[in-house]
Amino acid sequence: MAENIGGDNGDEVRILAFLCNWCSYAGADLAGVSRFQYPTNVLDVRVMCTGTISPYFVIKAFQEGMDGVLIAGCHIGDCHYLKGNYMTAKRFGVLREALKFLGLEEGRLRLEWVSAAEGEKYAEVIRSFTEEVKALGPSPLRKRAKAGVEA
Amino acid sequence: MAEKMNPVGAVMVMGGGVGGIQASLELANLGYKVYLIDSSPSVGGVMGMLDKTFPTNECSMCILSPKMVEVASNINIEVITLADVLSVEGEPGDMRVRLRIRPRYVDVDKCTGCGDCTAKCPVKIPDPYNAGLSTTRCIRVPFPQAVPGAAVIDPEVCRWLTREKCGNCVKVCQAGAVDFEQKEREETISVGMVIAAPGYKPFDAARKTEYGYGVHANVVTSLEFERILGANGPTQGHVVRPSDGEEVRKLAFVQCVGSRDTTVGNGYCSSVCCMYATKQALIAKEHLPGIEPTIFFIDMRAYGKDFEKYYTAAESRHGVRYVRGLISGIREKQRTKNLLLRYADEQGCTQEEEFDLVVLSIGLEAPCGLAEGLGLAVNGYGFAQADPFLPVLSSRPGVLVCGAAQEPKDIPDTVVQATAAAGIASQALHGARDTLLTRREHPPQKDVSGEEPRVGAIICRCGSNIGGFLDVPAVVEYAKELPGVVFAEERLYACSQDAQDWIRQVVEENGLNRLVVASCTPRTHQPLFRETLQSAGVNKYLFEMANIREHCSWVHMQEPEKATRKAQYLVKMAVEKARRLEPLAEGESDVIPRGLVIGGGVAGMNAALGLARAGFPVWLVEKEGELGGLARNIHFDYKGGDVRAYLEGLVAEVEREELVTVLTGHEVVDVGGFVGQFKTLVRDGEGREALLEHGAVILASGGGQYQPVEYMYGEDARVLTQWELERRIAERDPSLADLERVVMIQCVGSREEARPYCSKVCCTEAVKNALALKELSPRTEVFVLYRDIRTYGFREDVYREAREAGVTFLRFDDDVRPDVREVAGTLQVRVPDANLGGETVVLGTDLVALSVGVTANPDNAALAPMLKVPRNAEGFFLEAHMKLRPVDFATDGVFVCGLAHAPKSIEESVAQAAAAAARAESVLCKDKIVTEGVVAVVDAEKCSGCGICVQLCPFEAVTFDEERKVAVVNTSLCKGCGTCTAACTAGASRLQGFRSDQIFEQIEAAASAWHD
Amino acid sequence: MSDLKSIVREKLRDGADAFLCLKNEEGTVLPALITDADSPDLELVEVGDSRYPLGKILIDLLREYPDKRFAVLVRGCDERALVELSKLEQVDLERLVLVGVACSAEEAAACGCLRPYPSDIALGEKVEAAPGREVIDEVESLSDAERMAWWREQFSRCIKCYGCRNICPMCFCKDCALEEPHLVEPGVIPPDFPSFHIIRALDMTGRCIDCGLCEEACPAGIPLRSLYRKMQDIMEDKLEYRAGESAEERSPLSFLGSEQDIEKLEE
Repeated sequence: MAENIGGDNGDEVRILAFLCNWCSYAGADLAGVSRFQYPTNVLDVRVMCTGTISPYFVIKAFQEGMDGVLIAGCHIGDCHYLKGNYMTAKRFGVLREALKFLGLEEGRLRLEWVSAAEGEKYAEVIRSFTEEVKALGPSPLRKRAKAGVEA
Repeated sequence: MAEKMNPVGAVMVMGGGVGGIQASLELANLGYKVYLIDSSPSVGGVMGMLDKTFPTNECSMCILSPKMVEVASNINIEVITLADVLSVEGEPGDMRVRLRIRPRYVDVDKCTGCGDCTAKCPVKIPDPYNAGLSTTRCIRVPFPQAVPGAAVIDPEVCRWLTREKCGNCVKVCQAGAVDFEQKEREETISVGMVIAAPGYKPFDAARKTEYGYGVHANVVTSLEFERILGANGPTQGHVVRPSDGEEVRKLAFVQCVGSRDTTVGNGYCSSVCCMYATKQALIAKEHLPGIEPTIFFIDMRAYGKDFEKYYTAAESRHGVRYVRGLISGIREKQRTKNLLLRYADEQGCTQEEEFDLVVLSIGLEAPCGLAEGLGLAVNGYGFAQADPFLPVLSSRPGVLVCGAAQEPKDIPDTVVQATAAAGIASQALHGARDTLLTRREHPPQKDVSGEEPRVGAIICRCGSNIGGFLDVPAVVEYAKELPGVVFAEERLYACSQDAQDWIRQVVEENGLNRLVVASCTPRTHQPLFRETLQSAGVNKYLFEMANIREHCSWVHMQEPEKATRKAQYLVKMAVEKARRLEPLAEGESDVIPRGLVIGGGVAGMNAALGLARAGFPVWLVEKEGELGGLARNIHFDYKGGDVRAYLEGLVAEVEREELVTVLTGHEVVDVGGFVGQFKTLVRDGEGREALLEHGAVILASGGGQYQPVEYMYGEDARVLTQWELERRIAERDPSLADLERVVMIQCVGSREEARPYCSKVCCTEAVKNALALKELSPRTEVFVLYRDIRTYGFREDVYREAREAGVTFLRFDDDVRPDVREVAGTLQVRVPDANLGGETVVLGTDLVALSVGVTANPDNAALAPMLKVPRNAEGFFLEAHMKLRPVDFATDGVFVCGLAHAPKSIEESVAQAAAAAARAESVLCKDKIVTEGVVAVVDAEKCSGCGICVQLCPFEAVTFDEERKVAVVNTSLCKGCGTCTAACTAGASRLQGFRSDQIFEQIEAAASAWHD
Repeated sequence: MSDLKSIVREKLRDGADAFLCLKNEEGTVLPALITDADSPDLELVEVGDSRYPLGKILIDLLREYPDKRFAVLVRGCDERALVELSKLEQVDLERLVLVGVACSAEEAAACGCLRPYPSDIALGEKVEAAPGREVIDEVESLSDAERMAWWREQFSRCIKCYGCRNICPMCFCKDCALEEPHLVEPGVIPPDFPSFHIIRALDMTGRCIDCGLCEEACPAGIPLRSLYRKMQDIMEDKLEYRAGESAEERSPLSFLGSEQDIEKLEE
């Protein structure tokens, strides 16, 4: 098996990004085409619409030891499915507060609207989110035991 | 015409802007082969350069790029770039177009758009995509989303082509795509019809020397400013000055540069500049909250749907400053490079104000090639001459024209005309529908159910784009070890034609039942690989991509080791998902090849005729006893066209047309079913009901007229509406000649709190009647009291004529209203004249004509829930998308046109009706409606029937089965967003291809990247 | 004021096909469905101080007998549950006759719910109760790390008995996310922190009517009610909705809404 992404100390922050196909995934594509550099700490999951992102996905990501979760979708009004992102906005608003009440730092979950033309914004979001999560340190929800067994 | 012979089932679309793209997609959808030609190296047109679009501030590229990808992947659309039309010959149904195709010097089939050549090209050129505000290289992909996504060489500056030196691009291109042997060639293509959508030419701002464009560094055109605002533009959206890169604080927009200006030969209004300036001001404020934008204008022409609200919000809520005044000159301050704008205010006093940056809102000019290449008659301004009632008909049979080449217009009007043109082309060619279509034949699908997943992983090097940064062999080795993977290899270019043959072979030889390609973005390349997989007899949904280029090698160029590991895990995520993919079936449902049109006005009749001419029977349901609708009140149009005669001809044609069944005196009572299979119940005045079955429905329920309660209307017989006056003019009422004076009052019932929209037609109506009155009785004085005169496009000519004929235009401010009263038996109008600083002018008059607004049909309220379509706050129907789907609804199979949609002129209604007919035809012409595999499904066993998913569906695709108390997805309507699935706590609702368990596995694979 | 027995008779006479309430059989409190006035069960019915999610029984009864009308004894929380269940298509209020019981001052104080009385009171005297916010206040006074430690300690006692879900009047899913192996690893006790409990809290958002039965049922004494009440506070704060309050207004998480709603949310 390959080494982990985090390099030797395995301590780098781990970020999972959920990107909607039509705007934010396209924005991430444009960041690539434009060669805007950002840290390697992010892996992304493509979904058709952020409206399909169940809060369970976010819970699962944190449960699996992610230090930060990003949800990025079309700006309000730009949704390819008209209003799918309305639900994202609502669900995210509730989820973040719930996680906060349980003691997970607010900064670990981020919602951004990134259009297909906002390559630089996407890169900047990843840079700043990585910094923010880095400052928070490893998630208190990382599975210490499991990582130990598999390491 | 075409009926005599077998027409050619192909259409040439000239121009690859949004209009040409729309027409091409529509035509391919209607069953025709399409040649889409563009004189530039990519389709996209001006819309591809825009940052945002008004009035929703939507990202332009976000909405256009999926359409461009669709063009690229549709095998029945052949894109020919760098091509110009030399001549068009023949008759409708059998036309021959001779093209001159300039060399690209890059083989489009081989080039992967990787950009290696650009990196090594020594010749810098101003980047045309960024309006010259940044530089690019002589060889480059025109812009990231270009279609075709291949590089192009500028032969004027290429070192090899000019001096036979350099040749770096040839050396560096691993695909061997650079080809200096390409020569200019001519080609003749046979088609049935031609659609001209060449767009417009931006006005050359340098011609207005007083504005100093090209001289003063901080004077830019609106197109340049659009690029400055673009997040993908030269400054990444930072609003800075060209002279020193400093942030802009005071920003000025100068309107009507090259428009409404006879001194440069452009007497017309360019129709879009007021709104785009408002948009740019708003976006600039969004990017830089401290910026102070000022728009210098003559009349604010916010006449389209929701424009008025956009404009008033810009002024009152967002602090955009609007100043009435024509800029007479711009001077540059030497040291600061700031600009001094001189203008005459409304009182005629000269003012001067200093700004950091000035944007010239340049007008739209006629494109080249209309007369020479296409042989079309043009008007005095060089725009294509068009039929007065259906402006997509050019002077030449067989050649249709749409978009700004016919008259300056915005995106939705262009899309409407493009769709209309596609429909009219189809009406001429429907005998040859489907004859030239290429259909992909696929071997029967292997049944892989019950088989263990056998995943093949192809890792693409993309020349050096991936291979140059990642350790591709290490990724391949890693992939080989992943559970389920039985084959893993790398390719130099996974997307090349020979690679497809190889993949097919690999799938067959290794018995693969899942395929993963790790290369670039699925947004552009997934269709290709899916197609290849399908051709190998494997269901195309058993495919997954890992984006190791845009999302990995290109964004981590300095960290090859980490990027390699990241790529490994992106592959692992894809493999884990692929292992759990299941073959998906594309659904099919039947189509009843018959249409229904609701409303028998001009729009409805045209829509019905459109469908009939395309060969489909159609019901035309009209509530009233006779056809004609509101247009019965109109006698002539501003161009002098005889509306009466047109209407009579139209009614006669509808009655003559065998395929149209007219049901006057019928009301729609209920609508059931869905796209392809609607069932509509109609009832006549005596209560007799009939059930109509049809595949599509067009809403043309029309509008109404505001019934004035102000200005003594109804109290004094001398106060009329414009329509009442028009009738008297049309009847040549002799008493009109005795009138000493007539006063017209604009915006009666429009642009007010209760109806905060512009009715669009009243300014032209007033100007038209004023001119007609002057013609009948030159001695009659005519006053028009207005707020803004909104004679957009060529209507401006009539406005100018009216002024020249002595009609007096008197402006009053938004917050005041004229007063009409009777004083000693005479009518008196008092109005505070804005040009006199609000001083009240008193006009005794013989007649007052009220320009009353257009209102929504109250019947819309009952129709909307029946058809499951929304209305806006004013009661007009709300289309699926303001810009690109102006006649569609989110609910498939339902279309809208005419006043049911928004206030508009007759010719605009006719064009929209033709567009709605084309959209409906695209449903009716199919044997079956084929639906995507990625749709939501509900497991009835798990569903508790809470109904949340029913309410959450943006497309009304989920219904509640009252019998079984469970939700049911109509896969014909589902668009696969998954909004419903995320709300289902029981996991009963699932999005195929994006199931929760598949995503959970992806998440686990991603997490393992750190704790493996 | 009339007693429960005569109300049951009256409702049966006035068109209800059955009356659902509680009975006391030698000290054991059980649900009772009285279908006629001569039923021996009628002698055993009582309001008592026991609580039971009768709504859960009604869901099945209404489905099984689609042409019958039921009268049901409801406390404030029961009524809120039925209101919310009706919006979720689980019960049909048209076929229900609600007979309201106001909780006594003692009961109200012990329970601490926001509204210890139904909209129509047939039995008992209405008393207002000050809901207890001690747990929420305590948790909110802690830092992020302390909060997580606090909850970790609470949830560590969970034996995954599913009592909280089983007693919940608002839980009616046929498949439960708490049994999805990707989210809650089977056979692991206590369940992973915090997935089990946050999933339930999220599913209860815009749905929990604050009856507190979950907390009563929890053998480990986890302050579940405070967790769910906080979720409703969040819901009210962000989306201006509190479950059980209105029979017409639906949870904003169950419809798309307008752009204005989202603009407000983002402010």
